[in-house]
Amino acid sequence: MAETSTAQQMRDQEMIAQIGRRDQDAFSALYDRLSGPLYSLAFKMLGDASDAQDALQEVFVQIWSRASTYDPEKSSVFSWAVLLTRSRAIDRLRARDRRLRVVVESTAENKVAEATDASTVESAADTANKKDEAAHVRSLLNNLPEDQRQAIELAFFGHRTHHEIAAQLGQPLGTVKARIRRGLLKLREQFRT
Amino acid sequence: MISEEQQDQAALYVLGLLEPREAAAFESELNANAELRDIARELREAAGTVALTVPPQPPPASLKRRIMREIAIKTEEPTPIPQERVRFGWIPWAIAAALAVFCGLLALDRVRLERELADIRGSDPLMQTTFYTLAPSAPAPADAKATVAWQPGRQSGVIRISNLPAAQPGKDYQLWAVDAEHKDPISAGIIRVDQNGVAQVRFKPVEKAEHVKVFAISLEREGGVPKKEGPILLVGTT
Repeated sequence: MAETSTAQQMRDQEMIAQIGRRDQDAFSALYDRLSGPLYSLAFKMLGDASDAQDALQEVFVQIWSRASTYDPEKSSVFSWAVLLTRSRAIDRLRARDRRLRVVVESTAENKVAEATDASTVESAADTANKKDEAAHVRSLLNNLPEDQRQAIELAFFGHRTHHEIAAQLGQPLGTVKARIRRGLLKLREQFRT
Repeated sequence: MISEEQQDQAALYVLGLLEPREAAAFESELNANAELRDIARELREAAGTVALTVPPQPPPASLKRRIMREIAIKTEEPTPIPQERVRFGWIPWAIAAALAVFCGLLALDRVRLERELADIRGSDPLMQTTFYTLAPSAPAPADAKATVAWQPGRQSGVIRISNLPAAQPGKDYQLWAVDAEHKDPISAGIIRVDQNGVAQVRFKPVEKAEHVKVFAISLEREGGVPKKEGPILLVGTT
């Protein structure tokens, strides 16, 4: 897998070290590498192109200003950036909820804007490769037992707390925690093989 | 040896699902335990993998230009000019003393402001209200939604539901408060929606609920049940 192979991880770490020294070329290269999956994640969570772009801008500005604090002992650069993106998307979803509360009257669903832009930099071949990769990882996720897959999706993409997930699935909290953990570890194991 | 419970906590920690207090406690544990740090790293990598399951959406090229512009501006921001070394050693001490006095004044002011805030909270019902947004889960229509305005001090609240079709004959919707101090959800009564799928109802849980984490609506037997049996249709937190 291109995204997290050891060689790629080392290149990512090198780029982060350069970004820490304020190297804009390295930042540009890291953007080219990560923006696709990170934008896709933000778009899936927020369901709105404009919001996803704003979230991604915040993430990359954060990467620029916090590159020197990145700790390779804790995670790969890719996973670090994924968790930053997820966190920014959740902040936006919470802010959206707060706005909704102010206007208790129901509002129209957020329209999903055009997914792609005519000026996109990505080639059709790149897109096809990434689609294959996503399909492969999705098949790994789908191979998990249904209860584990459901718990992971709710925990990762829905901004639900473990209490809410337990309530939604009608399962004890301990069961839900174990499903999330087992599912994540199993997914990781499958991904490596 | 890492227990399953520690591993479970690690999974919730990397996904940011722990309460701040739990997260702080877990971080202390993490600092003292290398094996646990390895598990946390594995789980972070697994979380990164989940992101790869999302269908690819290329960002617009204009976004990169926007971001590069922003970091260029940040890079050009003037860095503070180094101060000329101060010859007189007493100046930092004088500044420290002035700051100490200033902090004392701030502390006094903070006490006064906290008192004022408490008074305002006491007199304004809106300040004592917590809002919960309930989202649909599988059996409910995707556009069903509800908002709960809950006043713990008064142990009462108002729920507004929209786009939820009326319960079928022999069934009722029941509201539940999931409270940190209670093992089971606490019933907050039956709710009936009108023909437009709308309801706005004032409610009171049957037991005291001081730390409500979640409100949920389930489909139950007509007239309601003392303990939740049916499927959850809407659920949400603050």
